[in-house]
Amino acid sequence: MNMATALDSGRLTRPTFSDFAIVVASELVGAILLRFFLLADDWRLVGGILLLFCVGFAVMQIRSDWEERIGGAFSRASRLAVGLAILLVLLFPLALNGNTYALHLLIVSQLYAVLAIALNFQLGSANIPNFATGASYGIGAYVSALLAIHFDINFWLALPAAAVVATAFGFLLGLPSMRTRESYLALVTIAFGVVIHQLLNNFDWTGGPNGLVGIPAPSLFGHSFASPILLGGIKLPSQANFYYLSAVLVGIAIISAQRLHGSRIGLAWNALRADELAARCQGINVIWYKVLAFAVDAFLAAFAGTIYAFYISFISPDNFTFLVSVTIMTMVIVGGMDNILGVIVGAFLLTMLPEKLRAFSDYRILFFGIVVILFLMIRPQGLFPQRLRRYGGSQ
Amino acid sequence: MSGHAVLRGEGLTIRFGGLVAMDDVDFVLEAGEILGVIGPNGAGKSTLFNLITGLYRPSAGKVFLNDRPLNGLPAHRIVQMGVSRTFQSSRLFADLSVLDNVIIGMHSRTHSGVFDALLRPSKARGELQQAAAKAGDLLRSVSASLYDQRERAASELAQADRRRLEIARALAAEPKVLLLDEPSSGMDDRDTDALIADIRGITARRPELSIMIIEHDMRLVAELPHRVMVIEYGRKIAEGSFQDIRNMPRVQEAYLGRKAAAHA
Amino acid sequence: MTAELMQQGLNWLTLGCIYALIAVGFSLLFGVLKVIHFSHGDVSLVAPFVALAALQGLSASASGLSAIGLLIACFIAVVATGILGVVLDWLVIRRFRDAPAMMALVATVALGIALRESVGHLFPNGHNPQPFPRLIEADFNPTEGFTLPAFNLLVIGSSIVVVALLFLLLRHTPLGVRIRAVSQDREAARLMAISPSSVFRATFFITSAVGGLGGLFYASYAGVTRFDFGIQAGLIGFSAAVVGGLGSMPGAIIGSLLIAGLDTVVQATLPDGASYRLVFAFLLVILVLVFRPAGLFGSVAVEKV
Repeated sequence: MNMATALDSGRLTRPTFSDFAIVVASELVGAILLRFFLLADDWRLVGGILLLFCVGFAVMQIRSDWEERIGGAFSRASRLAVGLAILLVLLFPLALNGNTYALHLLIVSQLYAVLAIALNFQLGSANIPNFATGASYGIGAYVSALLAIHFDINFWLALPAAAVVATAFGFLLGLPSMRTRESYLALVTIAFGVVIHQLLNNFDWTGGPNGLVGIPAPSLFGHSFASPILLGGIKLPSQANFYYLSAVLVGIAIISAQRLHGSRIGLAWNALRADELAARCQGINVIWYKVLAFAVDAFLAAFAGTIYAFYISFISPDNFTFLVSVTIMTMVIVGGMDNILGVIVGAFLLTMLPEKLRAFSDYRILFFGIVVILFLMIRPQGLFPQRLRRYGGSQ
Repeated sequence: MSGHAVLRGEGLTIRFGGLVAMDDVDFVLEAGEILGVIGPNGAGKSTLFNLITGLYRPSAGKVFLNDRPLNGLPAHRIVQMGVSRTFQSSRLFADLSVLDNVIIGMHSRTHSGVFDALLRPSKARGELQQAAAKAGDLLRSVSASLYDQRERAASELAQADRRRLEIARALAAEPKVLLLDEPSSGMDDRDTDALIADIRGITARRPELSIMIIEHDMRLVAELPHRVMVIEYGRKIAEGSFQDIRNMPRVQEAYLGRKAAAHA
Repeated sequence: MTAELMQQGLNWLTLGCIYALIAVGFSLLFGVLKVIHFSHGDVSLVAPFVALAALQGLSASASGLSAIGLLIACFIAVVATGILGVVLDWLVIRRFRDAPAMMALVATVALGIALRESVGHLFPNGHNPQPFPRLIEADFNPTEGFTLPAFNLLVIGSSIVVVALLFLLLRHTPLGVRIRAVSQDREAARLMAISPSSVFRATFFITSAVGGLGGLFYASYAGVTRFDFGIQAGLIGFSAAVVGGLGSMPGAIIGSLLIAGLDTVVQATLPDGASYRLVFAFLLVILVLVFRPAGLFGSVAVEKV
């Protein structure tokens, strides 16, 4: 009992100065590394930064007390950590010397981070194989684009509408999970993804293989997202609009994921991942929780799809193939199932790496395939393994 | 024992293809009673539990909980109505903490939904914190050593502690009826003694709780249950106090084989 | 009219046989491994590329042997595909024997992608469609308006022979007995001194070689081969096996005929039907799974508690 109170109080202590220092230092180092990585042209510099990342990662593996120390600092000084992170995200475009390609990479990485978080609800939390996240992403993009082009509905209304439609499809896709499991369910999701792709490719009203063009840029309070941001003599390229928009979406995704993970729902998902039959015998309605995981995945993916459509202003079925779904799955597996930070790191790494190593971008898909196999064989828990939940200060 | 039937089975029968795994079994479990279920391996004891808890659908027959029929209800509804169980081969949520295992056991007694979790996080978190506190108390009441290990992964527990955790998880659903499927399997004598003491402690604190217990360890069967029923080849062949049961020739045959029983 | 119908019927049987050669592998592998080998379609569709490469090699060394050359190239392709199956098992799949089914599933999907892309990169200009020859160029004309290409006869005939041989192998040879033993109870088989890994190797060789034959027919039927044919062929083969009930060989064959039938009807009746063929095949799969989760000929496994 005494030991227990000591443990609990240890978690409740106020942050010390060194906690603050650790948080500030790690966030700054992360941001600076990311900046150099984004602006690096020379493959040697890219390789060097990657090497640094690997070394840092290896050190954390060996000195798990350091990892614990950093994690502890972040949980004690969580306000500072979040505040500083927001500030860094806000200021980051200023540090890119107006490089629009770097901004573009960041936007795509953030959208993939959202998709990976979405898939993580299923693959990571509940162990449901879903090969159709790319299809939900596409449904979101197409629904909002069609609304904007044909009905002149603006982005801010198209966004929730697309999410509702995609969620409905998500429910539909989740229904077979009542009767089928594992391999069979995987086949159903693959089939769903292929069917959606083929339909988009064949219907006239979706523009067939040519897709949809001329999706109008969103605007907010009279500021068009197609024009650059001018603020007190600072000028940011128009991509910055979408950078901030997708950053907000990542924020929403992280908050939703954390809230669900730290609730009765996240626990129920984890239970059915560990042992579905035992979960049923704890009073968990496994069918409902499976369908729910499909719906949440589709909802978030549709958000990402909408932003993508309005950002690029042109979409075609080939943006939403089976391979997109597999790419998202790779990000979750590499990053670490059921670990939100890990999944985001996975998304950033796997979006930027092939772009940065141009010589090898032809081999991107081959690379993804091999990376998944190697990770599943050597480190199935991913770069950042899931952590046990902690309940602080309750007793 | 207050004398009224909490759980009642009538003519329970299940066939898998041509195999009759359970044939016309009746049983009654009274409030506060401990009913032992014994029989040779493969006799259908676990099948009986699977029928009660809704994992299998009976081909014929009915189960009532306080006179309300359980037939056709999905497994998770039956837990909600007050029947919890453990498994013969322990089925813990291995990669979750001991505390989380118990909190998940409270699933049917907590209520936050998706929208609570997303839009009213303080309510959802508050409920979970409360559940964590209750789970801690429950763990402490079952076993102090288990409580001290509450933040470890369930997979790291020793065999005896796993059994205890399974019982704690089942109790977390606040059941009226607890079904224990061979709780002593894989335990040595010392652990079994501790288990008997644990179960005694549980029933002392919850006098209304009724327990059905499948066992092979005759020491436990002699000490704990008020009544024992014997199952062989999916049929109930005897029922009564342990003293009466163990002298019945039919039971001895079932356990020892006909010839050995004749010599005994 | 009847000629038209016969033509479509012939087409149906031919497609059904091609699908069956691939579907049988999915079913047999699942029966033995208890895990879906998602990349089986991609393995099968490596065969046409091997055949093309072999054909080039042969025609470089000796010219004027086209018919025999094609036969030799196909033989090489079938054997090489069988070996490829064994190698992939050794490299990757065997490491997931005792892993959760989900991991094996994702790993074999990734393996399929890696295989497909490797073919695309290794074969010269491999990301573009490669023309693939018809295995026999001859047509018969039994009645007015009905052509009976020798190719279709070859496909149907050899599929029947191969499937019959597979049945004989499984029923009446020591290897077949061992395969069936391992698929029923791996541990018990091990106790009977049957080495599961040698059975796995044999199963991978047989199914991949049979799949390779299916892949050759598939490409020859289409007239071209593509590095990503494996997705479609794999999905169709897997769907057929699922419709019939995984683990059941007759089921896989009937499932293939059903999907091929649907395919033929859709292509014959719907304008632009070819582009919807997978859509209808998958609707069938989803319907079957919803109403008979274990497939038409599979038995529902009771979960042991």
